[in-house]
Amino acid sequence: MAAPLEKRIILADYGKPDSHTLSVYEAGGGYTALKKALVSEKDKWTPDGIINEVKASNLRGRGGAGFPTGLKWSFVPRNTGKPTYVVCNADESEPGTFKDRVILEDLPHSIIEGMILAGLALESRQGYIYLRGEFYKGWQRVDAAIQEAYAKGYLGENVLGSGKTFHLATYRGAGAYICGEETALLESLEGRRGHPRLKPPFPAVKGLYGSPTTVNNVETFAAIPHIINNGGEWFKKLGIGNEKSGGTKLFSVSGHVMKPGVYEVPMGISLIDFINETAGGIRPGKELKAVIPGGSSTPVMTRQEVMRAKLDYESMAELGTFLGSGGMIVLDSSTDMVQLTKRLADFYAHESCGQCTPCREGSKWIADIIDRLIDGHAVEDDLKTLLSFTKNMGNGTTICPFADANVMGVVPIVEKFYDEFLHYLEKGKSGEGK
Amino acid sequence: MRAVENYTFSAKAEERFKKLETQFPERESLVLWALHLVQEDAGYIPPSAISYVAERVGVSRSHVQGVISFYAMFHDKPMGKFHLQVCVNASCWLAGSDELEKTIENHLQIRPGETTSDGLFTYNRQGECLASCGTAPVVQINADYHESMTPQKLETLIEQLKRDS
Ligand SMILES: Cc1cc2nc3c(=O)[nH]c(=O)nc-3n(C[C@H](O)[C@H](O)[C@H](O)COP(=O)(O)O)c2cc1C
Ligand code: SF4
Repeated sequence: MAAPLEKRIILADYGKPDSHTLSVYEAGGGYTALKKALVSEKDKWTPDGIINEVKASNLRGRGGAGFPTGLKWSFVPRNTGKPTYVVCNADESEPGTFKDRVILEDLPHSIIEGMILAGLALESRQGYIYLRGEFYKGWQRVDAAIQEAYAKGYLGENVLGSGKTFHLATYRGAGAYICGEETALLESLEGRRGHPRLKPPFPAVKGLYGSPTTVNNVETFAAIPHIINNGGEWFKKLGIGNEKSGGTKLFSVSGHVMKPGVYEVPMGISLIDFINETAGGIRPGKELKAVIPGGSSTPVMTRQEVMRAKLDYESMAELGTFLGSGGMIVLDSSTDMVQLTKRLADFYAHESCGQCTPCREGSKWIADIIDRLIDGHAVEDDLKTLLSFTKNMGNGTTICPFADANVMGVVPIVEKFYDEFLHYLEKGKSGEGK
Repeated sequence: MRAVENYTFSAKAEERFKKLETQFPERESLVLWALHLVQEDAGYIPPSAISYVAERVGVSRSHVQGVISFYAMFHDKPMGKFHLQVCVNASCWLAGSDELEKTIENHLQIRPGETTSDGLFTYNRQGECLASCGTAPVVQINADYHESMTPQKLETLIEQLKRDS
């Protein structure tokens, strides 16, 4: 059942019994886009035909960075003589984000159909779905769905009798947040430690096994069949905000709301309406304090900022934050922002892959300072030091954007709720915290 | 559980490995998969499995060791029969994961990283978000998520696991 303001496209079958099976997916129109592209409208859906339709949809990567998907696919060279790979990023580990898990566990065929269509667009014959190791149930569901798709001729040497080949296999990560970063993911998929690669070259040109590769998020692939079925223009117009943010988007909302969960809404709706109507509002007797809008790496928003925000990429950027993955953590007046920061700082310190000094050392310093503050051992300069050295942590000094993510996730909390951090400092001085 | 001295794949693991060999153009990719298979067989990665995996995949032992030490889910020491992992990241903390940590520590008398003396339970704090924030707090026990957990539910669950084994 759809919640208020919801517009279910990708999630149309979510909640139906056996939504993960082929028969339910087909009953809801599943694999008709593939049949069009390969059989009934095969002249229209050339590789460029598919890419142009995706471009027209203004679909932007749902993994967090929001890069236009059609444009990304157009960067992948075809006919290099090397194989081309389609890789699905199902590593979903950004704190606060749990939308891909729903698609993996309950709607796996939508990912498979999207990936086959991407394979047609890029003239690829092989795709891989890289799932975080903790998603065992998700892996089982995806694996079973792949087998169903093979049995029905959607995958294999001769997809739907078209003469085209597309194979799909799964890969399981093993507990490393950094493997969500696309080049770390590729390293991991090649059987090594998940150390991000220096870019350029970008995966589009030199990705998996040194071959042209597209890496896209689960939700990005799940949107593709709808775009092929109904047209790019249709998808774009589902968004009601800035037209550069096309379509609907899944938001996973947690924290202090009455109805946490995963919801699909048109891009561009008001954030506060989403919180109050779709997610059931704040707990009774409490007030909204802040929102982390798009996963822990997106700058926290104060109540005032939340009131003005619309859920599209442009509006969020105007407010100095990001739509990110859509992993929203809602915080009410009871939240201790220093303790919250500790959870995030510890996480980043633990998950830095350690290749770059500013990230490896910086992430530990941040966590140490927050620890000292909570233990009552911090001094005045500690907070100033934190605000100063974090300016040099990312900003191109590191191989991958993890260090920037760490800084964006932590520093705005310290800046915007500085009083609370000072309060811990005072408590420490008076000996209360020790 | 599979024998850990002179480890070799179980028949089921062997069958899956053979299929995996056809799915990846470069054998190095099989390292993580092979380690998952070992762990499903033996509950951890016994020392003898390191050379075995290196040999089966065709990489060096140090490569395999490097992979094991990088990824948190690969265990090079035996684990309790039930591995309890309490998510302590932001959303679970907001939903009361502190209480779950206390429940385990009090009820089983172990600290993070420890295993009960009967070998049944190993407990860890999981700092990585488990993507269960909408049904927080979550405790992962082996491969399964136990969502919307409360101290009472957790105690009952632990007692039941004890009885069942
Ligand atoms: C530290 C870090 C973690 C990331 N984690 C994920 C993730 O879990 N899932 C994901 O889809 N993208 C993640 N990304 C983004 C990917 O690098 C990549 O941009 C994305 O998979 C591209 O797909 P899209 O264009 O469809 O969004 C992460 C990036 C960074 C820097
Ligand atoms: S920025 Fe951090 S996570 Fe990224 S490569 Fe450098 S050390 Fe690793």
